[in-house]
Amino acid sequence: MATLRRLREVPRHLLVCEKSNFGHDKSRHRHLVETHYHNYRVSFLIPECGILSKELKNLVMETGPYYFVKNLPLHELITHEFINTFVKKVFSLEPFVCHCVSASLRIPPSLCSCCALTYNTNIDEDNTAALLPNGKLILSLDKDTYEETGLQGHPSRYSGRKIMKFVVSIDLMDLSCNLDSKKYKRISWSFKEKKPLKFDFLLAWHHTGAEESAMMSYFSSYRIQEHQPKIAVSTMTDLQCPVLQSSELGGKPEVACGAWELLDWLGAVFSDVELNNEPNNFISTYCCPQPSTVVAKAYLCTITGFILPEKICLLLEQLCRYFDEPKLAPWVTLSVQGFADSPVSWREKEHGFRKGGEHLYNFVIFNNQDYWLQMAVGANDDCPP
Amino acid sequence: FQHTNFGWYLKARQGPANLKLKSTRGTDRPRRNVQFFFSVGYSVVAINHVVEFKEKKQEIEKPVAVSELFTSLPIVQGKSRPIKILTRLTIIVSDPSHCNVLRATSSRVRLYDIVAVFPKTEKLFHVACTHLDVDLVCITVTEKLPFYFRRPPINVAIDRGVSFELVYSPAIKDSTMRRYTISNALNLMQICKGKNVIISSAAERPLEIRGPYDVANLGLLFGLSESDAKAAVSTNCRAAILHGETRKTAFGIIATVKKPRPSEADDDSLPACKKAKCED
Repeated sequence: MATLRRLREVPRHLLVCEKSNFGHDKSRHRHLVETHYHNYRVSFLIPECGILSKELKNLVMETGPYYFVKNLPLHELITHEFINTFVKKVFSLEPFVCHCVSASLRIPPSLCSCCALTYNTNIDEDNTAALLPNGKLILSLDKDTYEETGLQGHPSRYSGRKIMKFVVSIDLMDLSCNLDSKKYKRISWSFKEKKPLKFDFLLAWHHTGAEESAMMSYFSSYRIQEHQPKIAVSTMTDLQCPVLQSSELGGKPEVACGAWELLDWLGAVFSDVELNNEPNNFISTYCCPQPSTVVAKAYLCTITGFILPEKICLLLEQLCRYFDEPKLAPWVTLSVQGFADSPVSWREKEHGFRKGGEHLYNFVIFNNQDYWLQMAVGANDDCPP
Repeated sequence: FQHTNFGWYLKARQGPANLKLKSTRGTDRPRRNVQFFFSVGYSVVAINHVVEFKEKKQEIEKPVAVSELFTSLPIVQGKSRPIKILTRLTIIVSDPSHCNVLRATSSRVRLYDIVAVFPKTEKLFHVACTHLDVDLVCITVTEKLPFYFRRPPINVAIDRGVSFELVYSPAIKDSTMRRYTISNALNLMQICKGKNVIISSAAERPLEIRGPYDVANLGLLFGLSESDAKAAVSTNCRAAILHGETRKTAFGIIATVKKPRPSEADDDSLPACKKAKCED
C-alpha cells in the first residue's frame, strides 16, 4: 500500500562526495568555501594532537566579530551610503582611477564583503532576508507579504501544492550604478511606504584595511551589539578513528572506510556519542566503522556564530599547512554547518526547511595534500554544486 | 446542553497552527494551554466551543473574548512574528434541524472566526460538504466510521474550500481510539487524496499537545505525503482561516475596513461616475 511504502522511506537528502588535491589547478575547494555564505558552526578535528599550534590558535581567536541589529528596516540596506560603505568592492585597476574613486568613498581601496541574515525567522513560515557578499539581497517572502510588497520575484521551488513562498532577488551592485532608475525607485517605495519590513539582522563584514568599528558607528541609531563567536575545545582520549585511504573515496572492504561512513562517524564524535556499541547503551548502538584504529588523543575545536567564508578559507589553508611538518595524524577534518534558516545554500541555490534544514560540508585533509569534500543537503534543497 | 470545552489550536499563516484547544470557562486552564502551544512552536491557536443540540431550544454563547484570557499577548521566545488567538465554534449535528442555526443570519455564529460542523450521519455529511456555510468538517476519530465516504460530496467540499479535520489527541490517550483514528484517516485519504486536510489537537491538557513537526510526521501515518502532511498543519489551516474571514465579507472579494477620512469635501465634489473611473 502506498502509505506503507511511504513510511519506509527516509526524508530526501543528498550527499555529494568528491576527492581532489589542493595542488590541482582546477581544485574547487576555494570556490566552494567562498560561496557558502551563511555559516553557523565550524569544527575541526585533529587526531594525535593535544594542543593547538600558535598559528591555528590565533586564527581561531580571530574568526572575527559579528553584529546583531534589532528591528532594522529593509530600506536601510538599499541606501547608497550602505552599499558604498559595506557592499561595493573596489578593484585596483589603475592607481589614479582607484585613488579618485576611493577618495570620494569613505574607505581606502580594499576588498570588502558584507553578509547579513535575519535572525529568529523560520524559513518555512516567516519572511526571511539575506544579503550575500556578491551584493544580492535575497528575500524569501510568504504569499501575503509578497503580494503586498509589489516586487517582482519567482515562486519558491519547494512550495508544495499551492505556491506559498516567493523569492525576490535584488542586485544591489546593479542598483547602485543607477540610482534614478525606475527599478530603484520602485524598490525604495516598496520598502519605505508600501510594506515596510523590519527584521533582526545578524551582520558580518570582511574588510582589509578599514576601520574596525565602521559597522557599529553606521548602525548606531539602531540597537547594534557586537558579538564574538563562541569557541569550545575538547581533547578526547582513546578515540576510535576509521582508517582512510585518500585514493579510496568509496572505501575498500578490510582496508579503508568510505566517505559516508566517515561522515557518520564524525557526527557521532561531535555529538559526544559512545562508539562502543554496548548492548546496554540506551542512547546509541552506533559503532565505529571498521577498519579502525585507536588514537591516544584528538583535538576537537568548535566555533559557533555568524562566520564569514573568508575566515574559513584561512582556517582551511592553515590546516593544509599542518602537514608541512611530519605528524602522526593521517588526516584532519574541517566541518562547516550552515544556518538552517538561510534562504540560500551555495551561491544562490535555494534552501528550504522541511523537517530539517541542514546544509553542510566537510573536508578531510590528508597528509599528502589530497582532500575529500563531502557536501550534504536536506529535503528542500537544490543539489550542491 | 453546551460544552465550552474544546479548544482548537490553529496553525495558520504558513506558520504552524493548531485548530483545537479545549477551553473551560472560568479556569486558568485555557491560558496555560495556549501558552504551552505557543512555546511548542505554533503561531496561531484557536479556542473552540462545542455545541451539541440535545434540547429543543439552544442558545449559542458568545465567543470568549481573547482579551479576557490575556490582557496582553504573551511573548514567545524564538518567534519573530506576533502570535494570534482565534475563536472557533463546532456544532455537532445529528439531525437536519440542527443545521438551521447556520442559516440564520443574525445568529451568534457570525461572531466566531471559524465555524466547524461535526456530522453524525451520511446525509448530514453530504449536506455539510455541499451546502452548509462552514469552514471545517470534522471527521470522527473516536469510533468506527458510521458511514462510508463517497467521492462526490468530498470533491464538492474541496472545490468550495471546505477542509476536513482530523484530531490527534484521542489517539494519544487510548490505543483503541488510535486504531480508529488511523483507519478513519486512511479511509478519508483514499478519497480526498490528501487535499484540504487539517490535523489538530483536541487538547485539554498540555500533555496532549504535540509539536508541529511531530504532528506533520503523524500525518504520514494517516496516509498523507510529506509535503501534504506539512501543509496539513500550516498552509491548509491558513486557507481555513481565510475561508472563515470570507464569511464576513461579500463573497471574499470586497472587504470593508473602517478608515478615518481625512477630508470629506474633495470626495463629495466629484460625481459618482467620475469617481468610479478614478478607482479603476
